[in-house]
Amino acid sequence: MITPRLAGPLRLAACAGMVALAWLVVLPWVGRLPPMKQHVRAMDDGEVNPAAMVYTELERLPLRPDWADREIVLWP
Amino acid sequence: MPHDVTASDRRGFHEDTAAIVVGGLLVALALVVGWNARPAEDAGSRKAFPKGWPNPLAATIDKPQTWDDSPAMSLSDKKGKPLTVPILLGMAWVVGVLAGGAALRGRSLPAVLPGAAALALLGGLAYLLAAQKLINHYNLEYPLWALLVGLLIGNTVGVPRWLEPALQGEFLIKAGLVVFGAEVLFSRLLELGLPGLLTSWVVTPIVLVATYWFGVHRMKIPSKSLCMVISADMSVCGVSAAIATGAACKAKKEELSLAIGLSLLFTVAMMVAMPPFIRWARIDPIVGGAWLGGTIDATGAVVAAGEMLGKELDDKRPAEVAATVKMIQNSMIGIIAFAVAVYWAGWVERGSSGPRTSLAAEAWDRFPKFILGFVAASVVCSFLHTRSPETALWVDGATLSFTSRLRGWLFCVGFVCMGIQTVFRELAPFLASGRPLLLYVLGQCLNLALSLAMASLTFGWLFRKVVEP
Repeated sequence: MITPRLAGPLRLAACAGMVALAWLVVLPWVGRLPPMKQHVRAMDDGEVNPAAMVYTELERLPLRPDWADREIVLWP
Repeated sequence: MPHDVTASDRRGFHEDTAAIVVGGLLVALALVVGWNARPAEDAGSRKAFPKGWPNPLAATIDKPQTWDDSPAMSLSDKKGKPLTVPILLGMAWVVGVLAGGAALRGRSLPAVLPGAAALALLGGLAYLLAAQKLINHYNLEYPLWALLVGLLIGNTVGVPRWLEPALQGEFLIKAGLVVFGAEVLFSRLLELGLPGLLTSWVVTPIVLVATYWFGVHRMKIPSKSLCMVISADMSVCGVSAAIATGAACKAKKEELSLAIGLSLLFTVAMMVAMPPFIRWARIDPIVGGAWLGGTIDATGAVVAAGEMLGKELDDKRPAEVAATVKMIQNSMIGIIAFAVAVYWAGWVERGSSGPRTSLAAEAWDRFPKFILGFVAASVVCSFLHTRSPETALWVDGATLSFTSRLRGWLFCVGFVCMGIQTVFRELAPFLASGRPLLLYVLGQCLNLALSLAMASLTFGWLFRKVVEP
């Protein structure tokens, strides 16, 4: 018999178990599938931080590239 | 029922004032320490210091790094350097900010500290979940997992009494926004000249205002703040814009959570779908890059999509122009948040309670004062950034290596607090109606159409130099 006092911790334990299963087993397995592996490698090779929330979190500061002055009229 | 920390149950400073003091001191500390550690040679060389002068405070804060098979991998960087101490110190910064905020607001420090330490650990757990490689590469950012961690605790075991005094999510978000102000530099707005300005400054406000108006007046969504947060995160730059405007219009925790969830969901879909579409539709690579930058919500996802497009076309320009357009949009957050705060205080809230005194007095009374700290940090750092090459690298060093990490921790733990205080049942009506989702989709369609038209006009035609063979 599960008492109301125990119900909350048991629910939390069950949720934590599911999160652990997803993060420690499922996601690593999905990450090993060829299309995912290829995507991750391509981003790593390009030194991209896809999780950046704003530009200050990027691996490289996105300053004006050299070609922009040659190909775009920046200030007419 | 969790203890709801409000600005009114105080004996010391107001919550907004405390956020300005704590956030302002942290930005000042970063600048002072950075100035004292200025390099003796090449201090103005971007080539020597691509991310600004090294700031000694960078060694005192970090977050779990990406990992794929074992979470233990998150405790060291790519070169194998252990990061356990800087990560623990990152948590200590959060505890310090919570303690400082409590002291300024006249609260008991011994009552706050145990809960603050526990919340910092939960923030570390949220960062750990977000750092899983697949999650990281599909831009499912840490606020989502911080909310999840908080929701799981708040909706299963509830809130222990010892944790209640430390649950200051709104204070952490406000202090984080003041610190964030140092990263929002007006000088970045000019990085791509007039075409960049037109693409960001014309389309973004039109989409924001039109989506908000449509949600409130045509779709009749009862919550104006929900419409505003959805409109801002979809039209400006995702989660960071949602946080800033959500605080400016005093959106409910549930509304902010919903807007962030929608934004991240569509960010992943657009990041994957747009590069192949641009290639299939034979859109010019530079126009395509500008389109990605103007429409995908999150900065990291914009760069990832630009990189994908660039790889497919064997051209680095889409990624560069996409990232730069998004950076210009990032730099608009301060102005947008300030405008939303003024509009809310002067018109929306006034309208809901009826006139009492003059418009200006009432607006000032309701104005979220921490926005002034956010804007002040932005103005000061923008001014310093434009003074000389040396000062630009000084500010970059302070923000890129310290304040951005600190702001991340403050937001992360702030979202854990919000998750703990959010009740699943209160999210249900929003989800059941489906109208917020529809509003996001319609607004994003408008954003896609206008951004493509403006990017074609500016980067593809009006300001494109004719390249002679």
